[in-house]
Amino acid sequence: MIAKMTFDFSAIDEFAVTLAIVGYVTVFAALVLLFYIYSLIPKIIDISVRQKLRRRGKHKIAEKENLSMVGEENAAIAMALHLFFSESHDEESNVLTFKDSMRSYTPWSSRIYNLNEYYRRP
Amino acid sequence: MIKKAITVFAILLVLAMVSGFTHTNPLQGKKSETSISNHSVTNSNGQSEAEQGIARFWEFTGFANVTPGHLIMLIVGLVFIFLAIRFEYEPLLLIPIGVGILIGNIPFLQNAGLKVGIYEDGSVMNYLYFGVKYGIYPPLIFLGIGAMTDFSSLISNPRLMLLGAAAQVGIFATFLGALVLGFHPAEAGAIGIIGGADGPTAIFLSSKLANGINIIGQTAAGDPVYVKNLIGPIAIAAYSYMALVPVIQPPIMNLLTTKRERLIRMKPPRAVSKLEKMLFPIIGLLLTTFIAPSALPLLGMLFFGNILKESGVTKRLAETSRTSLIDIVTILLGITVGASTQADVFLTEQSIMIFILGAISFMIATAGGITFAKVMNIFLSRDNKINPLVGAAGVSAVPDSARVVQTEGLKADPSNHLLMHAMAPNVAGVIGSAVAAGILLSFLL
Repeated sequence: MIAKMTFDFSAIDEFAVTLAIVGYVTVFAALVLLFYIYSLIPKIIDISVRQKLRRRGKHKIAEKENLSMVGEENAAIAMALHLFFSESHDEESNVLTFKDSMRSYTPWSSRIYNLNEYYRRP
Repeated sequence: MIKKAITVFAILLVLAMVSGFTHTNPLQGKKSETSISNHSVTNSNGQSEAEQGIARFWEFTGFANVTPGHLIMLIVGLVFIFLAIRFEYEPLLLIPIGVGILIGNIPFLQNAGLKVGIYEDGSVMNYLYFGVKYGIYPPLIFLGIGAMTDFSSLISNPRLMLLGAAAQVGIFATFLGALVLGFHPAEAGAIGIIGGADGPTAIFLSSKLANGINIIGQTAAGDPVYVKNLIGPIAIAAYSYMALVPVIQPPIMNLLTTKRERLIRMKPPRAVSKLEKMLFPIIGLLLTTFIAPSALPLLGMLFFGNILKESGVTKRLAETSRTSLIDIVTILLGITVGASTQADVFLTEQSIMIFILGAISFMIATAGGITFAKVMNIFLSRDNKINPLVGAAGVSAVPDSARVVQTEGLKADPSNHLLMHAMAPNVAGVIGSAVAAGILLSFLL
């Protein structure tokens, strides 16, 4: 079957070459345009963030070159907050204390309840 | 033991009787003359009505109609199911397609008015196939993809978008290759899109360009010449190669990159604000559809799905789109695409050529992405270098190709995780292939 294949290079005419080149360039152009726009958006957002920071008197942070955070930093802060808010009550003093009972007898310390009624020595 | 022997003997007897009647076909042969005598109906061959019934039943069975083509396709279907279960290659696609191939290739008596074949008007499968034939399912799949995709990796590092564009070279190279092999330009365009490594886009474009309905010329006698129906082979080739991405891509990745390049660590992506995530689908929709309006059904639905997700106020709609809706459409798409591979329609020289071209286009697309990443590295500072393996994810195939990049990256350095970086060109590839489909459509329709 493969031997039957015929290759007709004359089929690649002017139209086909134009389509291939224009098509590829257009796909590239579309994504390059998106690239520039999405590169621009964070800069525009940063301008308003810097203005807000300056209004609050945080000039030092506002002058920082890069205001963005890395996702890993975000995750670390979120994890710390989560641990603080949800698991802080689990913290114990880890000090063991003995407290004497005021009563001399309670059923909890009764020896008789520790033995089976039908207990028989083997 | 005796019972078993009697059962086997009885089955052999029945088969022998039935095979004796098969020389008369009640539908294709001459209409049998029947005469009534002594309360029994017999035909000119002396067969009773019961015997004719059994003969007719035999004619309708798959055993009587089976051809080598059917058997080949049944094996192909079983291989698909095997690959999905054993190696977990895209099981959500290969299981429905594999079962679809089995359903589509069960031999039955053609033109008997059974209305069971996918290409027979009025059959259930034909109704379900409507969604493939007229490109209804792909935009719905894109809606679900949009609602489940997190574009933040792309937004945080937009330059990786260029890798998604570079990998589309496979589409246009395959288009030229298909022309050389003698396909009509419309058919070549539909075949070329396999290089986009995007099943729904491939089905969408082939349903518009190579659907067996469009007229592409006239014969000397003035009769219309129709474009070939290549939806089945193109869809199967696209989905097969998407499933085989873990097999096709690694050798090319290793061939085109050095050990040192594979070790490159990329900067972790920055955190993306909610506003940026919401702006992305709106700007993307307006920009890409203005450039290629023909891709509106795909890109419109993709970005619509993403707006549902990122707006934060349509959680129910986003949830339905990315779960129930996409699942239902995937089931219908998979089973009908599989069933469309009916042996008599599918097993042609053209299908084999489409498979060869598809494999080449996948390789070219992968090579295109990697090579472009290497070219970009020439212009980038030492701290901002791109790991060229990431370029391989430029061929859509979400998220399989990104997963392959992660695996290959880990092989070189077990602590270098490239998945998040690879997702950027991966989703950019989806946008790029949809734009390419729009361009091909506007040139060739």
